[in-house]
Amino acid sequence: MRLLRALCGPVKGPTIGELTLKYSNLPERYVRRAMRQIEYQTPRGKPQYLNRTLERTIFKFSTNRPWTFEFQQDNAPRKKIKRELIEPIKNWSFFRGDRVEVLIGKDKGKQGIVIHVFQEKNWIIVEGLNTEIKMMGEDKKNNFPGMAVRWEKPLLVTTEVKLVDPSDLKSTDIEWRFTEEGEKVRVSVRTGRIIPMPPMAEETIDYKTKGSYREGEKDTDPDELSKITFEPKLCTFDMEIMEKMGIKEDRNYAKTYWY
Amino acid sequence: MSALCRRIPSLVNQLRIPTFAALKQQKVILSLPTRVLGVNLFSTKPPPSINDKLMEFFDDPKNWEQDNIKTGRSWKLDELRIKSNEDLHKLWYVLLKERNMLLTMERECQTEYRVFPNPERIDKVEESMENLETVVRERNRAYFELETTEPAERPGKLEMNQIGMRYFYKHSEHLIPKVMNRKWREKVVHGYEGNAVKKFLRLKAEKLRDRESWKTHSRRRYVSRIFSEYPDADAKSLQEAFPDVDVEAARKHIDARGNHDKNLN
Repeated sequence: MRLLRALCGPVKGPTIGELTLKYSNLPERYVRRAMRQIEYQTPRGKPQYLNRTLERTIFKFSTNRPWTFEFQQDNAPRKKIKRELIEPIKNWSFFRGDRVEVLIGKDKGKQGIVIHVFQEKNWIIVEGLNTEIKMMGEDKKNNFPGMAVRWEKPLLVTTEVKLVDPSDLKSTDIEWRFTEEGEKVRVSVRTGRIIPMPPMAEETIDYKTKGSYREGEKDTDPDELSKITFEPKLCTFDMEIMEKMGIKEDRNYAKTYWY
Repeated sequence: MSALCRRIPSLVNQLRIPTFAALKQQKVILSLPTRVLGVNLFSTKPPPSINDKLMEFFDDPKNWEQDNIKTGRSWKLDELRIKSNEDLHKLWYVLLKERNMLLTMERECQTEYRVFPNPERIDKVEESMENLETVVRERNRAYFELETTEPAERPGKLEMNQIGMRYFYKHSEHLIPKVMNRKWREKVVHGYEGNAVKKFLRLKAEKLRDRESWKTHSRRRYVSRIFSEYPDADAKSLQEAFPDVDVEAARKHIDARGNHDKNLN
């Protein structure tokens, strides 16, 4: 069955951003399972019903991450959601921790650091810039208007933001080029200097840096993981295990036909 | 009843209950070490009962009140390919027990109306187990293809059923050859005939053709609409995303007209 599934091709469904999955540190399989919105499913295990599932294919992506409850609410089964036109970007150039200049709105010309990346919508959230004031926790009964909270609004990566060249701290267009070692790097078109990848880029929900991750009880040691114990032998998996466990199969099998 | 009694051997004669005198003579017992391989031989702790073993179905009690339990990622294919068969065999059972424990905890949380923390753990374990099975299947396939003419997997073939639909027929093991097996030949019939089936196939093909044409049309329309909204969109990446759409033709299509300066020319 697994072989047939492999023949069917790659996983179909909405494209979840590569950086979204990296940041979440969750298996893609889980994210897709958490995203699924099934309106109706025919009962399984009953021969009179064919296996049919009525589920959502077009999702509303926003600043709510795909595995959250808010995303589930936004994409509830019977909601009418139109497919959005998202410009496809070949080489994504904006990462967490990048210094970036805002080109629109009240904070035009100001520079800030990227704290969130939403690849599905080509959005970025810059810390402290492009904000609006939201009143949260309003209580009409007790005449409490709510707390004023500064909420950052997302910015479009293609038109509303530009990367900042660290050498002269001015905005610039960038290109992806290869170094002599073969590493792909971002190069500022104006000055020709390399814009290094920020250290915050490898941060995830679970850990800040790969080196600082503390292993749990059930995690395998990295030495154990890379230890090669495989010795190629001319026998199947079953034969080798039987040999090791001392199981002897000396029964004579009758001739059978497979059809 | 008397026959049963004769079959059950007498246990009394087999139990050698030592007398007090015999015990006094056995000085050797006192000189034995109290700890052998880290296990206290004369421990007052009771041996693990069935309850302790059943508790392996549940997580460590420390984790019962936790909101967030951190776990590592799943085993990758390349990491499993360097391990010996014995290691994989042991790992399978470790993963199986972990999966059973997680599923038990999920069910318990459901019955008690509690939030099951970190449900992605189940997906990580299942992914590891799938990868493990893939590696084992690869190794078996290598042996079978080198040494024998038999297939490594259960044999099967794409066959046509009586309503003209192709399906994967999995072969099964029989003691008598096909020629002698009348019951099988009556039950499993491959191939179709008749005008009713031909009509059904015509209508089915029409339905599929209609759906496919709608899909290709909607893909081309989506690409055109992308150009209408973003006239400078990268054609190469669009072509990669939609390989069956003629991106250049979609750009020149009337659907690609948008409210931007480029249309003024």
